Amino acid sequence: MISVYVLFLISSLVSILLYNVPKMAVKVGFGLSAVSCFYGMSHFVISMGKNDSFVMFGNFLFSPNFALTPLGNFFSFVVVFIGFASSVYGMSYAKEYINKANIGVFACLFNLFILSMLLVISANNVFCFIVLWELMTLVSSFLILVNDGKGTLKAVMIYLGIAQVGAFCITCGLLLMAYYAGSAEFSAFANLAMPLPVCVAIFILFLVGFGSKAGMWPFHVWLPLAHPAAPSNVSALMSGVMIKVALFALVKFTLFLPISIYFGLAILILGAASSLFGVLYALCQHDYKALLAYHSVENIGIILLGFGTGIYGVAAGNATLGAIGFLAGCYHVVNHAIFKGLLFLCAGSVLHATHTRDMDVLGGLAKKMPWTSVGMFIGIMGIAALPPVNGFVSEWFTYQGMLQGAMSEGIFTRYIFTLSVVALALTGVLVGMHLKLYAVIFAGTPRDKKIWENAKESPVGMILGMLILMIGCVGFGIGANFIVSYIMQAVNSITPSTYSANLGATLVTSPLGSAISTPLIAIVLCSTMILPFLILAVMKANRTKPRETDPWACGFKYSSRMQMTGGPFTGDLRKVVDWLFKGHKKIVTNGYFSPVEYHNHPQDIWWSLIYKPIIEFIKMLAQKIGVFQNGYANVYTLYILIYLCVILAVSYFVI
Amino acid sequence: MQTILLMIFQVVVIVLIAPLFDGMARKLRAKLQSKQGSDFFQTYRDIIKLFKRNRTVPKCSHWVFRLAPFLLFATSSAILAAIPITYSSNMAFGAYSDIFVILYLGALLRFVFGSASMDSGNPFAATGGSREQMIGVYVEPVMIMCLIVVMLAAKTSNLVQIQQMVKDGIIGYQIPSFAVASIAFLWCMYVETGRKPYDLAEAEQELQEGVLGEYAGADLGLVQAALILKQFAMIGLFLTIFEPWNFSNPFLAIIVFVLKAGVFYVAAVFIDNFGPRFKIASSLRKNALAALAISFVALTLYVVGV
Repeated sequence: MISVYVLFLISSLVSILLYNVPKMAVKVGFGLSAVSCFYGMSHFVISMGKNDSFVMFGNFLFSPNFALTPLGNFFSFVVVFIGFASSVYGMSYAKEYINKANIGVFACLFNLFILSMLLVISANNVFCFIVLWELMTLVSSFLILVNDGKGTLKAVMIYLGIAQVGAFCITCGLLLMAYYAGSAEFSAFANLAMPLPVCVAIFILFLVGFGSKAGMWPFHVWLPLAHPAAPSNVSALMSGVMIKVALFALVKFTLFLPISIYFGLAILILGAASSLFGVLYALCQHDYKALLAYHSVENIGIILLGFGTGIYGVAAGNATLGAIGFLAGCYHVVNHAIFKGLLFLCAGSVLHATHTRDMDVLGGLAKKMPWTSVGMFIGIMGIAALPPVNGFVSEWFTYQGMLQGAMSEGIFTRYIFTLSVVALALTGVLVGMHLKLYAVIFAGTPRDKKIWENAKESPVGMILGMLILMIGCVGFGIGANFIVSYIMQAVNSITPSTYSANLGATLVTSPLGSAISTPLIAIVLCSTMILPFLILAVMKANRTKPRETDPWACGFKYSSRMQMTGGPFTGDLRKVVDWLFKGHKKIVTNGYFSPVEYHNHPQDIWWSLIYKPIIEFIKMLAQKIGVFQNGYANVYTLYILIYLCVILAVSYFVI
Repeated sequence: MQTILLMIFQVVVIVLIAPLFDGMARKLRAKLQSKQGSDFFQTYRDIIKLFKRNRTVPKCSHWVFRLAPFLLFATSSAILAAIPITYSSNMAFGAYSDIFVILYLGALLRFVFGSASMDSGNPFAATGGSREQMIGVYVEPVMIMCLIVVMLAAKTSNLVQIQQMVKDGIIGYQIPSFAVASIAFLWCMYVETGRKPYDLAEAEQELQEGVLGEYAGADLGLVQAALILKQFAMIGLFLTIFEPWNFSNPFLAIIVFVLKAGVFYVAAVFIDNFGPRFKIASSLRKNALAALAISFVALTLYVVGV
């Protein structure tokens, strides 16, 4: 593993040295990161089930050492896999930034970002973890700033603000754990004994800390701001992978605690809420990158449903339930990374061709950008969990895990599990509505002729990046039983159980005894696909080339403004859940002959419910405290002296 | 291998038979409305005639629109194949015949429906596509709640096994939650078959089936056949779980199944004819809430252990 890390370090150093030759930096910088990622992929696949560790040379403050468990190996694989696709994509995509930013720095940060995520996964003591965690946040915020545009700075500030609160919570939690363990090394954390209130406090701190980074509801507000602002290959990494690192840490540290079943149930409830609210907010977005960002909230919810089941299983002493829960969660982690990465890369490709993030002015792009459109179609099939593609298998496992949980004793537990199943099913249906993402951008007639005419298919490198993830989408769906046996190695390191998820050559099975076979589903779908052609042949149907016409418009002349846009497509639903959107309806009429303007902008009510009051309060507090800052350096020195004395006194007399 | 042959057999038989029942339903409806009506074979004739016609497609559409009739037909046949009628004794085939597979194949159908409707560029078609999705939002939670109760009672999601258990009386109407769930599921099945109170199919251009607006000729024929198949599949799903009584001989089983499903299908005309028409935003919502309440009762009955 040290070789992988060194390779990334070298790539980032080489990239920064190329800061004067941007054209070369595009190829070399991102090319090197692709090579490193590929090497990392093969390394992590080979050593999937193993433990690995190394101690950093030299004598640092805390003698940093790094260790990978099988679970860490699995998450590292996810990081480098998506990293590989987005670096290949970046080799063409970053050309667009030559005049906007320094490509050498961009590539260096990109490499450093992947490296920091890998190191966070393997960090093995509190100090290293916190430093690297903050490094990951900082590097990603710099990467958002690469795309210096309107509102970017605000997005970065909100991102950093929430990350700061999160990091504060994490640090407190970890320090508390270190206090009870008597050591800051994670290896000493196993089998911690601590009083229950402390344990609950630490768990809540972790939920807030890691949850805010993972984009869990109600800490999700930064995602729809930060992800659209970043360059698309960075969004793919941030949304596909970085939030997973937070989930990894959440699972890792929660398992150190003496957990109770209520921890699992709390995660389940938050997961169900995240998935529903995420998808509902995603539905009403017109900015397609913000839409995808809200989808991350939803998918984090689904993953949390899996992990919640797993943690419940571990706490209840039911190893099989724990195994299926973690399996479902991990499988959805890799699936979500793949299809969300793919969707962001496709979105980047659309943005590259059209230079607009508003999907309601696009349309009909499928004819201009066939590859991108196929990529988006497969990605949406994945996110909507439609059978032959990968999302289906992991959702199936999540369902099976939760059904298993719903059979346990206790009315409360049963209710939580069964209602979570309903939430997941509802999420599944609502995601189906996101065909609008495909349909409004790629289908129908162009709404803005000029944009449509200037649009063209992306260069080969970008298509290649998308193609890797498209193959991943289909492969991780159809090859489910291979993937499952890999993931089970990681899962068995958490909860050793007798449950084995792959059965026979093609089947994957749940502990309930239900089994599905994705290759069989694909075969049946392909063979039923022959049926209509057969019928047409037998009936000697008229297969002359169809006549091309304008769509029917009640006898009027067809205009492309008549077709459906994203807003009305989900209009019925928006009416039903208006309490959640609190849309500002505004109708502007300027006389009889000019068109009526109709605005209905939904807003995230959680912002005004939770964040706004806090921000207002802090502003007010800052006003009051402001008198202390009077500009005299000697007064400032006095403050420092007083503070020092107080701390010394406290530490001498109290502790 | 034998099971796959049986699967193909059942799909082919239902594909051949389904239009007959559609014709019967139309005749009955006409009679109820004091009209003469056409004979039982009119649906066959309609489809055959459509196959002979020329086709038109909107200029703007691409492969999503053009392939959709085939995809829709394939998906609804795939759902039919997942319903264990002729292979009801082969437990191993739960690998395909799983409840979640059926649910998500249904979602695939809806997905293709919606994408094609948007791709046609026709405003009415897209409105239809949107409403189709909305109906899904109303129906799916109720459906999954009923199915959860069944799955939890049976402790599996393998449809073949569930069917066998109900047949053997291991689970069934003696369990209160199962009985209540069957009521709510009947509602879901009826909505999913796309009949009138929930689907104003007579005004096809504007409303839910508006997606068909841009199809012509053989494409239209295929889509209509696919919708009839889907209706059969949905009734089939209900019958498999809640009324699975049947022979184990594949040939007898398919005959009995077709008769049972056909009776349901034709009987639906009564509700179709005498029921009111629903507006999707207001009335269907209230209706769905009632069904949701029933299914929630079923769920609660399970949870408290009755």
